[in-house]
Amino acid sequence: MLLCSGIWSSPRSQCHTATTKRMTIKRVLHWQPNVGTSVNSQILNEVSQCVESINGVKEGRWKATLTFYKPMLRDQSLASEFPRDFLGIMVPECPNKYFFVIRTQRIVLEADSTIQTIMEKLQSYKMRVALNFEGFQYQLGDFQLRVGKVVPTHSENLRGIVMEVEYLPISSIEKSRQIMEEFLEIWQEALSKRTLPGHFMPMEPNFIEYGLSDHYSSQHTAVQYATVMAQLIASVQSVQSMRN
Amino acid sequence: MDMKFQTPTQPQPQPQQQESQALANPNASPDQPPQSTAEAPPKQVALALERLAQAGRLIADVRLGADRLLEALFVAAQPHQSNKPLHLFIKEDAAMRQHLQDLRTIGRQLEGTGVLNEPLRSRSNSWGLHMPLVCPDGAVVAYAWKRQLAGQAGASAVDRTRLALKAFTDQKKRFFPHLDDRVHDQSTEPESKKHCVPQALPASNQEELSDCKTLSDVLMRLEKEVPNLKIFTYERLDWLKRASSLPSLANESPLELLKEHNFHSSSKLRPGLQNTVAADKVAVIELLFPSIFRAIVSLHPVGSIEPDAVAFFSPDEGGNYIHARGSSVYHVFRHITEHAGTALQFFLGIRTETSLYFLLHWICSYQTLFSKVCSKCGQLLAMDKRLALLLPPVSRPYRHFFPTVTSSAQLISSTNEQSSDVVSAYHIGCFSEDAQ
Repeated sequence: MLLCSGIWSSPRSQCHTATTKRMTIKRVLHWQPNVGTSVNSQILNEVSQCVESINGVKEGRWKATLTFYKPMLRDQSLASEFPRDFLGIMVPECPNKYFFVIRTQRIVLEADSTIQTIMEKLQSYKMRVALNFEGFQYQLGDFQLRVGKVVPTHSENLRGIVMEVEYLPISSIEKSRQIMEEFLEIWQEALSKRTLPGHFMPMEPNFIEYGLSDHYSSQHTAVQYATVMAQLIASVQSVQSMRN
Repeated sequence: MDMKFQTPTQPQPQPQQQESQALANPNASPDQPPQSTAEAPPKQVALALERLAQAGRLIADVRLGADRLLEALFVAAQPHQSNKPLHLFIKEDAAMRQHLQDLRTIGRQLEGTGVLNEPLRSRSNSWGLHMPLVCPDGAVVAYAWKRQLAGQAGASAVDRTRLALKAFTDQKKRFFPHLDDRVHDQSTEPESKKHCVPQALPASNQEELSDCKTLSDVLMRLEKEVPNLKIFTYERLDWLKRASSLPSLANESPLELLKEHNFHSSSKLRPGLQNTVAADKVAVIELLFPSIFRAIVSLHPVGSIEPDAVAFFSPDEGGNYIHARGSSVYHVFRHITEHAGTALQFFLGIRTETSLYFLLHWICSYQTLFSKVCSKCGQLLAMDKRLALLLPPVSRPYRHFFPTVTSSAQLISSTNEQSSDVVSAYHIGCFSEDAQ
């Protein structure tokens, strides 16, 4: 998975090994299907085509992973004391890092990627569900877009569609807010012409509650993925409850 | 016995002299008339290059000789040595003197043909590539067309002239669009009126601006008039060091970086400004609006109030390419830089003494880059059809631009009052010269 395209290589979109600090602003959106419908790969194709219709240039693939952990306890009655939504997230910009989020407690933690090996060896936590977010990434001038499907690892069962919108020149969330919103308007307008059964839901978690600053970083991305995950689960559950 | 010794040595110098004269002779004729029509410029250039190559080889020989001398000395310093080091030393000494003599000869030849001369030697960058050319009307043009003339040694004179003219017209169109407009303008405004308006400043404003005679004045005024702005000044080499140390991957938080830099700059300067001792060495001005942009302005000559280049960058960019003639990796800042180059030439053309003050204020109007919508279409972000890029309004008009002060009203007469909110902004496609 390369991020190179002509002269656009090193100065941006890379995670220094010593830090989480990122250069750019990113919004993660998930696909909210209309009531009564579900995601399918046709929608994914349409979305990709729409990106190309606004002059997006396909650059390469991307992949992020999200894992639900559950504690390995001898005494299962203690399980209720542990958070149910303990997530581990790997983002492609920082392959050496692994992020943990406990959404209900508004906790985000950055660790070295070897923590996964440690957890395995300690037999402290075990993977409950592991998901991949993968797809293609596109360059649109100073914007970078990623469109991806949400699938469980070792499965092709499409559980959702996500999108990342990144504005590269600045890294302040406040200063870039207007630009991001206008971009999303332009994007939603372009997409609405295709009359798809659903839309992308932008939501912005309250980063301050997680102790994060205005300066965007990979920790912000991890928090966004955790929030998106919660939304995806909620929408899948509502579809299931409708069917029942 | 003496005679025996002397006679063998006597004839020797003569053949040597004859040899050296013979050596000198083939070189003598090109030496004499560089201005004569006997040697066409391409041949002169080829000869000069050959001599420079010879000089290079001689310099290498000198270096080797120096090494050998040092080696001989080192060996001689060891105990139990024979006369061998002494002979080595004498041999090398003779060889070195010969090399240096040859080098002097070549140097004289190069001087004779005008390749090496005093002005060239006294300039640090002897090819004059950074020196803009000053036209008779006081305007400053970039040097690119001059390079055409120098570079096309192999082509004919006609080709060279044609290429130079083309490069010059391109540069002129790029940097002086208003000159073209005057020739082709069909608008209702009479030409003289259009010419006069930017220059007819109200008398009170001219008085205030005449206070800004030195770099310190300009920067102090700017600091007072524009809040949120951080100004730093540097000598040229210091800026290069700073640019390389700017974090491109943000391995420090921006706050830490600013604190660190303020420390460095304040060691030389008064906090936030420069003291009068360093002001005459200032060659680079950095304007930073944190989280928005960083603009670099270079001054020429050093310590003056004449800007000669400007470039915009992301506040998070770092590296050697961050300088007044550099180019950002981001489209938005690249386009602003291009527009700023035109504005710079305009301000210089109107009035050189106020050009820096106007330019810096105009640069400050970009603090609303990511918040101010286009005055024509009302959008912040728009797809530029020609470039196929989504950009915010990167063009701000400069023609009737007048620096405004949000604080004390006494500085500006009410007719010219604009706040920085009123200074308009346009997308590239929405911007037209007439709309200024």
